[in-house]
This record gives sequence, structure tokens and C-alpha cells, in this order.
Amino acid sequence: MISQEGLLLRRNSRNTFHSRRRQEKAANWITFILLVLLGALVLLPIWWMFRSSLMTNAELYRYPPEFFPGKWLFSNYAETMEFFPFWRYLRNTMTFIVPSVIGGTITATMGGYAFARLHFRGKNFLFTLCVGSMLLPTMVTLVPLYIMWSRFFHLVDTYWPLIVPHFCGGGAFNIFLIRQFVKTIPRELDEAATIDGAGPFRILVSIIVPAIKAAMIVVALLLFIMLWNDLLQQIIYINSIEKFTIALGLAQFKGSLGTDWSKIMCATCMSFVPGVLFYLIGQRYFIEGIVMTGMKN
Amino acid sequence: MSVSPRGKKSTNLVLKAESRTAYLCMFPSIIGLIFITYLPLLSVFTLGFFKWGKGAPSPVYVGFENYIRLFTTDPYFIDSILATVYFSLLAVVGSMIYSLFIAMLLNRRVPARGFFRAVFYLPYVLPAMAVYIGWSWLYESNFGLFNFVLSWLGLEKVRFIADSSLVVPSLAVIAVWLAGNLIVIFLAGLQNVPKVYHDAAEIDGANSWQRFRHVTIPCMTPIIFYNLLMSLITNMQIVVPALALTNGGPGNASCFLTYLMYRYAFISNQLGYACSISFIFFVIIAVLTAILFATSRSWIFYEGDDR
Repeated sequence: MISQEGLLLRRNSRNTFHSRRRQEKAANWITFILLVLLGALVLLPIWWMFRSSLMTNAELYRYPPEFFPGKWLFSNYAETMEFFPFWRYLRNTMTFIVPSVIGGTITATMGGYAFARLHFRGKNFLFTLCVGSMLLPTMVTLVPLYIMWSRFFHLVDTYWPLIVPHFCGGGAFNIFLIRQFVKTIPRELDEAATIDGAGPFRILVSIIVPAIKAAMIVVALLLFIMLWNDLLQQIIYINSIEKFTIALGLAQFKGSLGTDWSKIMCATCMSFVPGVLFYLIGQRYFIEGIVMTGMKN
Repeated sequence: MSVSPRGKKSTNLVLKAESRTAYLCMFPSIIGLIFITYLPLLSVFTLGFFKWGKGAPSPVYVGFENYIRLFTTDPYFIDSILATVYFSLLAVVGSMIYSLFIAMLLNRRVPARGFFRAVFYLPYVLPAMAVYIGWSWLYESNFGLFNFVLSWLGLEKVRFIADSSLVVPSLAVIAVWLAGNLIVIFLAGLQNVPKVYHDAAEIDGANSWQRFRHVTIPCMTPIIFYNLLMSLITNMQIVVPALALTNGGPGNASCFLTYLMYRYAFISNQLGYACSISFIFFVIIAVLTAILFATSRSWIFYEGDDR
């Protein structure tokens, strides 16, 4: 009796188990199809820009439009480069991004380490100031900073106003990121080093930095994306054409060509490339970094 | 007995060295906090009471004149607050729903998950300027992609960013498209929801909507709060499309607050007046943030107190 009942129960549960498995499998397929459709939708704009860059303007204005270009006119890119000095713009962009990223990463690491490990007077106060600055939109302080750079330092139309602020802490956000990371490193390591006679600075350089390399890469990547996307500061501080960055060059190119869309799309697609390459190389860190910034609170 | 004073002395020395290093490490950040953040904030507040720039080569104290002008005679200011709030509302709500939905799809066991995650994240790494120029071609009034789609569906052509009533929603669509970072954060949050909760709810007979509503959402509230706050601050600062594409138009439909401030400060050279706009902007952000934080206590669910 009992064993029969048990058998029945088990068979029933196996049945429901199977139907649930089947249900789940169906749901996963639906999910997959949805993802394919939505993914295609997200990629469609990028594809459309790219395919437009390979066509003649006459083809662009034809109805019905072609989803794939009839002939892939890569020569459009060569023609665009004649008016759109991409390499120079890229070099200019890197001229301010690379030092900013390095400076921001180093100073954020120092600040994060101090907050995580060291005792000093005024720590809580500084911490509150940092939190406050995180919620302060950069737009608010734009005008006074411009006044500072233009009237006191006379450094408008140089890269200095874009670079120097990143040597000042690299942003509260990144300081916190580093702080969270340093906190996960066992204190015993520091203590052992202290007994061996290492000072706090030695500990930072020889123990903490190697241990939080991943977090530092994340900070560097986040800074890179931020600077890569920033347009307003570049517009304000850079005036002369020889110093134009990719974003400024693109704006000017669009302004001077107006409706030559196939060439404008060539320039647009070229500007996509460095960011995408950078992302593909550092993808693991990117995702990790974004996740960490979200999990941190 | 004789060890203890010497020990104390050496700890003192160690502490001294420690705080010296700390100040050294904090030095760049302290400089930044003073000169890049708080002093400029103070100057924004102060300069808001001055006339400086056009018609006043050196600052002239004018009291509340700038603020009175903003709220009574400025033809753009009120509209630009409305445009900014309208845009932020659409962009924040849209990108929160979109990114939570995509994250929930990505949280299921599907093939090529990493690939899909990369696809949805991709727009986020494209440079803003190029993104807006590219989209302006898709939104083109006659031959843009979306107008092809509309005429294919048998609908009237639409002028999108050239139409004053559609420009803000059109830009909000781009903002949603760019929200890949929110997806990744949501996804990480979803993966942290303890599976036991779902199993328990399932045993109690909860269907998938009920599980979403009563298990997933409560566990996700801290992440939702974080994304909401960050997305709000980002979208309120919207300026690039106005700079790159619309110049605040058509009409003043996309003349967002930050763009208005830019125009006053850097085009018509009214620095003091621009600072008064910045300060109002700061107050708006502060109030919104405060509201979010104040209400957060009632809807954020903290799981235990293990953190």
C-alpha cells in the first residue's frame, strides 16, 4: 500500500517535473526568439548607417530602399578621408584622453586606498564631501571652471582644461569603486608587510595595487568612455581646427557637407571604430566594471 | 612593564606616518574637491547675483535681478525647464522599462547570452556625437529609415527631429537605445536574487507574473533605485543632441536647460546670468534627488542586514 502510494506520488512528481521542463524549454525558446528580434532592432540603426556609407547619394534617395548596398563602395571612405582627417582627429583625441585616463586612475587609486585603509583626521568629513560631489552634475560648475581656465590661467584652446581635472581624484565615483575593492583585500596582508617594516605607501604600491589591478582597469575604461562621450567640454575649450577631436571634427564635417549623407555616414562609422575596438578588447572588464558600479551601494 | 610606553610611542609614530601618507594620497582628491567641485559651486551661487559679460566687462552686483528676469521676462527659461523634465521623464521611464525587460530576458538560460549582452550594450560605447549624427540620418524627413518604414506600413511621413512636437520623444528613443549600461547592472542584480525565493514561491503556486511582482521586484528595489537615480541625473543633463543636431529647435522645443545655459554663457556671453540658470538647475537636481531618497525608505526592500 504504502509503497504503491509512494510510487504513484513519485510518478506524478516526475510527470509534473517533465511538463515543467518542457514548459521551461518552450519559454527559453520564446526568450531566444525575442532576443534575436530585439537584438536585430538594436543593431538596425548601426547597420543602416553603415550600409548608407557604402552607397551613392542617388541610391540613398531611391524608393523602395535597398537593405544591402548594390555595390559596396568602400571608395566612399577614401573620398571622405580627403575632407575628414580622421587620423589627426584620433591623435588629438588620444592626446587628451590618454593622460586624463592615466591621471584619473592613479589619483582615484590613491584616494580609494586612503579611504579604505588609512586613519586620518577629517576622513568622515572628506567622505561626505565626496558623496556630495557624486550627486553634483558636472554641468552646474561648467561656467565657473571656464572662467577659471580662461581668465586666470589663459589656457583656452589647449588640452590642459580637459586633462588637469582628471589628475584631481578622477571623480568621486571611481574613488568609491577603488575603495570597495581595497576593502575586500584581507588586512592580514598589510599587517604582515607592516611587521616587515613597510610603510603605508609601500603597502599601497607593493600589495594593494597588484591586488586591485582589475579594478584599476575598470576605472580606466569607465573614464575612457566618459571622456569619449563628452562633447560640451571639448566645444567650450577647443577652438582651432588643428586641435579638433573626433567629435568636433565630425560636427564640423556635418555642418559643412549638409546633406551629403553617404559621406557623413562614412565619417560617422569611422568614429564608431575606436570605441567598438576598445570595447571588444576590454569587454570582460567593461561588464565587470558596470556591474561593480551597480552593486556597490 | 617597560615595553608598553615604547610600544605606545611606536604606534604613535606609525599613526603619524599613516596619516601623513593618507593626506599625501588624498591630496589630489582634496584639490579636486576644492577647486573642481565646491569652489565652483560656491561661485555659481555667488555669480548668480552678478551681471558679468555682455555690457559689464567686470562683475557688477545686481541682487536678485537675474533670477527675477529668469522667472518673469526670459522667453526661453520656463519652456526649457518643461522640455528638460519632459525629456527626462520619457527617457528615464523608457530606459528603465526597456533595460529591465531585456535584463529579464538575458537572465534566462538561452544560448549565446554573452553575445546578446554585448549587442545590447554596444550603443553605450559609441561616441555621442556620432550617435546623434547617425540617428539624424535615420530620422531624415524624406529618405530616412523610419520614414521608409512608415511609408511601407502605409502611414504618412513624419518629420521627427524637425517637428517641434516630436523632437523630444524622438531624442528620448535614442536615450533608451543608449541605455545598455542599465541592462548590465539590472542583469547582475537579477543574478543576485536568491533562487530559493523563486523556488519557494513556485511551490506555493505562484505563477510567473506573481513571482516577478512579489519576488523579483522587491529583491531588485535597491538596484532599481540606483539605476533610477543615475539615469535621472544623466538625462537631466541632456545637451549633446541640442549641440550636435537641433540647436535647441525646432522653435525652442529641444532647448534643454543645459543648452540654454551654454547659449547664454558661451554664445551671448552673459556669464552671471548663465550662472543663475546653473544654480536653478542644481536646485532642481537636488530637490529631485532628495525626493527620491526620502521616498526610497518606503519602497526599498533591504534583504536582512548582512551588508
